[in-house]
Amino acid sequence: MKRLVLYLLLIMSLVVFTACGTQQASPSKEPTKETPKETKSEKIKIALVLPSTMDDMAWSQSMYEGLKAVQEKMGKDKVDLAVSERLGNAVDAGAAIRQYASQGYDLIIAHGAQYQNVLKEIAPDFPKTSFAYGTGFQAGPNIFAYDPQAQEGGYLLGVLAAMMTKSGVVGVVGPVEAGDAVKFNYGFQQGVTKTKASVKVRVAYTGSFNDIVGAGEMAKVHMDAGADVLTGSSQQAVGAIRAVGERPGKYWLSTDMDQSKIAPNTVLAAQAYHWEKIVSKMIELRKQGTLGGQHLILSFSDGTLELKYNDKLADKIPKEAKDAVEKAKQQIISGQLKIELPKK
Amino acid sequence: MEHIIQQGLLVGVLATGVRLATPFLLAALGEMFAQRSGVFNLGIEGIMMMGAFFGFLVTFFTGNPYFGLGSSLIVGFLMGLLMALVSVTLKAEQGISGIGLYMFGWGLSGLLFRLYVGGITSIPGLGPLHLPVLSDIPHIGSILFNHNWIVYLAYLLVPVAWFVLFKTPWGLRVRAVGTTPEAADTLGVSVNAVRYQALIVGGVLAGLAGAYLTIGQANMYADNITAGRGFIAVALVYFGRWNPWGILAGSLLFSMADSFQLWVQVMGITFPYELAVVLPYVTTILALAVSVGRVWTPAALGRPFDRGSRG
Repeated sequence: MKRLVLYLLLIMSLVVFTACGTQQASPSKEPTKETPKETKSEKIKIALVLPSTMDDMAWSQSMYEGLKAVQEKMGKDKVDLAVSERLGNAVDAGAAIRQYASQGYDLIIAHGAQYQNVLKEIAPDFPKTSFAYGTGFQAGPNIFAYDPQAQEGGYLLGVLAAMMTKSGVVGVVGPVEAGDAVKFNYGFQQGVTKTKASVKVRVAYTGSFNDIVGAGEMAKVHMDAGADVLTGSSQQAVGAIRAVGERPGKYWLSTDMDQSKIAPNTVLAAQAYHWEKIVSKMIELRKQGTLGGQHLILSFSDGTLELKYNDKLADKIPKEAKDAVEKAKQQIISGQLKIELPKK
Repeated sequence: MEHIIQQGLLVGVLATGVRLATPFLLAALGEMFAQRSGVFNLGIEGIMMMGAFFGFLVTFFTGNPYFGLGSSLIVGFLMGLLMALVSVTLKAEQGISGIGLYMFGWGLSGLLFRLYVGGITSIPGLGPLHLPVLSDIPHIGSILFNHNWIVYLAYLLVPVAWFVLFKTPWGLRVRAVGTTPEAADTLGVSVNAVRYQALIVGGVLAGLAGAYLTIGQANMYADNITAGRGFIAVALVYFGRWNPWGILAGSLLFSMADSFQLWVQVMGITFPYELAVVLPYVTTILALAVSVGRVWTPAALGRPFDRGSRG
């Protein structure tokens, strides 16, 4: 009897875990059978390793949607897409990356700065495979490093925040003081203070990328302390947006992707990353025989970064605010405006 | 809420801290009963995730947070029962079955979220309960009386848990099977039945703690919403020496330190953020280290009961 129950439990957990596995793979339509060798020349197999989930409404989802857009454009039969999620721990991710490489994937994207060292270790063992990671700038012979200039959008959102705040205090709900988040926050601070020197920018960090409850609590503290326009990056930002959405008259500025769905009356504007252009570029380079070695930059000048306003709140933003943002954008694109970055 | 600035930093820190302590308090009080009966349940984190998810899901479909809350309690009950089945009846190694329960809860909640919701969505949450007169008292009003009712319930449960554990026959049985199960068995107490009950109480409270995260605090759900809070609750049981008042002290110490560092950062007081975010952990560890004295633990903690064997 006891053994029976034990077996039952074992089977139950197996069912759950295999269900998890197929579920993760099913949207990507990953074929289980080996693809025949002769089609390999035109068909590209792409694997994506994500720190959180592909529906996190932020960092990971923006890349996943970029890949889906590439697949849509090139044709479903031309691109095989496999996704592994919840691999925030770089060591666990390493196992998945190595497995994808040995299964013959052509391009393996590890979407996070923390994967830099793991890739450096694995890439030499698979010289015919292309690897990519970001935010980063150190490329390798078969490693692409992609690098969104998050400070550019941060600056523009800072200009907007300075024009929109009534209390004179704006708050940043930061994740961990590293990579993309620091660049974004630097840009944001400069955007605010160069527009209105009297506006205070308060920057705080939760110490985590995925603590949505903690991010929400930090947003509440920011608002209690007087901030009325807030921003912040990483996947936990959705928790902060929800907290801001509960208080009328407070606004949020998004990054990574358009997050206005969570709180349509709260998100004024967003810096959106167009990953599909970067992925297409990597595929193109690979076709020409360049397997890596390039430092790919996302910026406003080539349209890989974009500022999107929330249509629903368009009338809440005064014209002079939009004009100021547009002017700064043109200056960034023309190179007139240089945004300072932390020294590496 | 701007009035808080005028009242100064202290009120802000206290008001936030009181709120932040709620999930720890609920989960740790439940875990205390389980450990007092001799079973440590490391799966609290998984139960909280399931409670958080079902609270969210049912609220999402019905629009009524109370239905959500009810389903969290049911899920907590079932998860507690599962833990009891594995660790009491099947006598599995408790540390491992707890971790298994955690992984089960995380995997299943993530899977169901994708199947039935498919994206990040907001839900209506429980608003703050405005108590006439009390909430309007200057200063103290916003600290003590401007939260949703789960917060009050959590604090109310501290004396209740103390009374149940030390003043009722059932509490005596729980303590007996956790220290000398053989003696309790000789006196006709069913050791395994009491352990089942204690684990289920722990499960229900962990489910409620999870529901508080989604319905009371975040008003949304995302993967891994508990972010380690369940494990901190287990640690707080040790910190509180298996006593409700000790657990209250530990939860408040941890949460006040957390609230303090949030306010320090937000007010722009120059302080390295890396130190700020570890402050609650460091404070708790220091408090544990300084409070010397012989640490009492439930003698049969972690040991499955086998009638006829001599422990």
